[in-house]
Amino acid sequence: MAAESFRAFLDVLAEADAITRITDEVSWDLEASAITMLANETDDKIPVFESVQSRCRETAARLVGDPYRGPQHRPWEWFGRAFDLPVDSGPAYYEGMIDRLSEPVEPQVVSDVEAPCKEVVRTGADASLLEFPWPYIHQGDGGRYATLATVVAPDPDSEWGSWSRHRAMIHDDSQASLLFLAGEQVPNRYYFEYERNDEPMPVALTIGAGPAIESTAEVWIPVGRSEVSFAGGLQQSPVELVDCETNDLAVPASAEIVIEGRVMPEERLDEGPFGDYFGYMNGPRRSMPVLEVDAITHRKQPYIPFCVEGSGVGYGENSTSTFALAAGGPDATLGLRVAGFDVELAVPWPFTSRTVWVIATERPYPGSLHELANFIFTTWGMLHIDFFVFVDSDVNPLSPRAVIEAIALHADPATDFHQFGVERMPKVPLNIYQTPDEKGSASVGTSKTKTAKAYIDARADGDRLPQSIGDRASREQARDLLAQAGVPESAFEPPHTIEPDQ
Amino acid sequence: MTAFRTHLEFLRKTDDCCSLERPDSPSPQVLASEALRAAGPAVRLTAADDRVNLVSGVYGGTDQLSRQERYPWTRLGIGLGVDRDPEYVDVLETIAELGERVDERDVTYVERAATATGRTVRELGFPTPPGETWPHVTLGLLSVGTDEGTYWTPIHGTVIDKNTVRARVPNTITERFARGETVTIALGVPSEALAATHLLTVTDRLSTPIEDRRVGSTVPVIPTAGGVVPSSAEVVLEANMADKQPDTRSEKRAFWEHLIEGTTLTLEVDSAFARDDAVVPFTPLGVPLADDLQLAGLTLAAQLYDRVNSYWGVSPVEWLLLPAVGRLGICVVSTEVLYAGFEWQLSNFLFSFSDCFDTVVLVDEDVSPQNLGRVLGDIWVKAHPARDWLFSEPDAPVARLPTYSRDDTGSRLYVDATWDPRWDEAYIAPRVSITESYPPTLRAAIQGSWAEFGFDGDLDDVL
Repeated sequence: MAAESFRAFLDVLAEADAITRITDEVSWDLEASAITMLANETDDKIPVFESVQSRCRETAARLVGDPYRGPQHRPWEWFGRAFDLPVDSGPAYYEGMIDRLSEPVEPQVVSDVEAPCKEVVRTGADASLLEFPWPYIHQGDGGRYATLATVVAPDPDSEWGSWSRHRAMIHDDSQASLLFLAGEQVPNRYYFEYERNDEPMPVALTIGAGPAIESTAEVWIPVGRSEVSFAGGLQQSPVELVDCETNDLAVPASAEIVIEGRVMPEERLDEGPFGDYFGYMNGPRRSMPVLEVDAITHRKQPYIPFCVEGSGVGYGENSTSTFALAAGGPDATLGLRVAGFDVELAVPWPFTSRTVWVIATERPYPGSLHELANFIFTTWGMLHIDFFVFVDSDVNPLSPRAVIEAIALHADPATDFHQFGVERMPKVPLNIYQTPDEKGSASVGTSKTKTAKAYIDARADGDRLPQSIGDRASREQARDLLAQAGVPESAFEPPHTIEPDQ
Repeated sequence: MTAFRTHLEFLRKTDDCCSLERPDSPSPQVLASEALRAAGPAVRLTAADDRVNLVSGVYGGTDQLSRQERYPWTRLGIGLGVDRDPEYVDVLETIAELGERVDERDVTYVERAATATGRTVRELGFPTPPGETWPHVTLGLLSVGTDEGTYWTPIHGTVIDKNTVRARVPNTITERFARGETVTIALGVPSEALAATHLLTVTDRLSTPIEDRRVGSTVPVIPTAGGVVPSSAEVVLEANMADKQPDTRSEKRAFWEHLIEGTTLTLEVDSAFARDDAVVPFTPLGVPLADDLQLAGLTLAAQLYDRVNSYWGVSPVEWLLLPAVGRLGICVVSTEVLYAGFEWQLSNFLFSFSDCFDTVVLVDEDVSPQNLGRVLGDIWVKAHPARDWLFSEPDAPVARLPTYSRDDTGSRLYVDATWDPRWDEAYIAPRVSITESYPPTLRAAIQGSWAEFGFDGDLDDVL
């Protein structure tokens, strides 16, 4: 049975001996984050901070550092276990996720008494963000952050609203600034509908909504559908929702914390600097829309999962990079197939998961790669992704070795690198290759200066170099012998090619 | 100087060499190839009979695509006597020094460790690749004596009869056969000898005897029917040229053959010498991370590193790497950008001195060569897709190693993933890292409590 709540997900991790519960008192001020970053870098256990200093004694909230971070060899493994999907093979996991996403399950609404997130209800002046030990994550950050927050917002095309992930910088007991980047659906609705009509946009920030909801909040789904029904598909059961106290939105009943509020028109607060997913502190400090808190409901002794952004680049994994690979990749693969593209797998590059993606595909007709890249750049890949690398349809994009070899040997600088015009495309201001002056502080959260998008055709022109010798039986025999000598089985992953039986 | 078997003992002591009984099946080459697939340890295959012992993965073995304690240069660096945990640049400098000219010859002669054996070459039991008929000798050193001195080249080949080896050697060595037609093959030689052999073959084109190079005074040698060979060699085969030489080739290529022209020789072995419990290195050819590929990559990098830092009067380059995972088709260089345009100058300097690759990636001087993971991120996030991916006109000569099909000319690309030297300091984004995002007192406190917190790993490599 799938893990349907954050606490059930922690149980999955505990069963896999993948968490450590730290009972020593730990500070929210850099300490919890430093421990988490070290665990992320060294592929160690996920820390659950059971006792956090400077917290509100009554609320007694706890922190969990990058709970969704997967093992470096198999980033999808905890999601696979949580959703009861194959974990031994990356391509098999992807196909399992695709099957689940193809069969959404509508949510169901439960009463307040059935909703753990209503164990404590505070409204109006009684609701304070400062009850909770939001972590101060990196030296130099502009403030304390809620980094793993799923924002539920109204959507006229969907009964259950629109769900997406946005971080919030805490300013005081009732205000936070939300990172809203135009180009994404919820921010677009705020900037181009609510704010233009001078109306506040009701929202609910859910913290600890569980793996299915947080996965689907990361992905791009068709207009008119709700992420929560895809979350139901992932867990193969309806997500239980409960009505908010102060607006018409419905939120996950099992959430650890729900922050109800309004995003105010024409109001801005500082957001950033912040150590971001690029692995660098981006600047300058920006002005971002303001969340005004109306109510906070939560479980008793709630868990606050958080992500140490910037630690998911290079060799490290964190929740963001794992979401990209374990949820974003299957969703993108499905989306491209539905759009008619002959795509085997679409996978974010593990060393910087939001900037470059690798796609295994055929080239059925001249221009098809351009058309494919163009489709993504103008839809879900618009703001974050700068590059696509196309590899042969049987090359495994989950294998960095295969991808590097493809780029090094098969991508001809003269004919296989393609740009979509020079500096005509939008870009998130979180990047580090533009100067602060170029990024500016545009009112809708994109850089003032544009960028370029490119794709690389790293598909082989002819035969590829051999990756192994011997037949399959002898290779398996060799692996058995090496395993007896102490070489772990996981060291053979991922394979260079997508095996037919995967 | 570290004898080959001592080198293996060091690898064993650092838990980087595992031992197996040599199985009848699968082929040792398949075992070695799968160990490379896993970026695993060196693998020693112990024979229970008269055959020699075998070991694979001695000169590289690992990739850098996940955090590891061993690097592609670690095993060779240990063999070169650099350190138990050798720094990359120290390995490059040691290789380059072995190829330096010396003013006076200072050769040390030491008795040969190997003794005469009654076994034929076939009976020595070299491994046979799957699907092939004949055993294969790899990672050998060919010694050719001349009046001026001895020349060493890489050699590999198949044992096609009891004592007949059909070998591949660099074409240029045939010019040194004037004194006679007797040569010597040495297997299981010190790393200094094998690395210098690759370096001098690729860079010097065998223009100077080894006695006039530093390696000649570093590795103790013994005269043989061919030229001198390392005294500690595990197996020594003295051979004559066969009367009839083949006019075709069928063997797989060793990696050095992608860099220089090779030729085929048929050699008749007259005398075979082997140490007790002889152990010889071998590698599967043509697979990722193979030892011949790693040796070529490290020696080429040593040559280029030496050249770029000897050219401008200063040494701006921190390190230079030809990742074996890219089969040497990409060059990564960490450098100080001395002035605007230096990045162009450096990239094109490298294109001038190596025809292997057509892509150069420049990263900042603070990037560690141990952290290829950071390079594989920085390429995309620090280099502006419009401004920092820079292509030449498509009129450059083709590079040797990429396999795409094209005409005689093409473009060269360099990716500038360094900070723009024209930027104000305030524009430079600080890194997110454990050392830059958290104060030292906090890091020290966490390190002290790490095990108590319930974590399994060791923080020594990250703190």
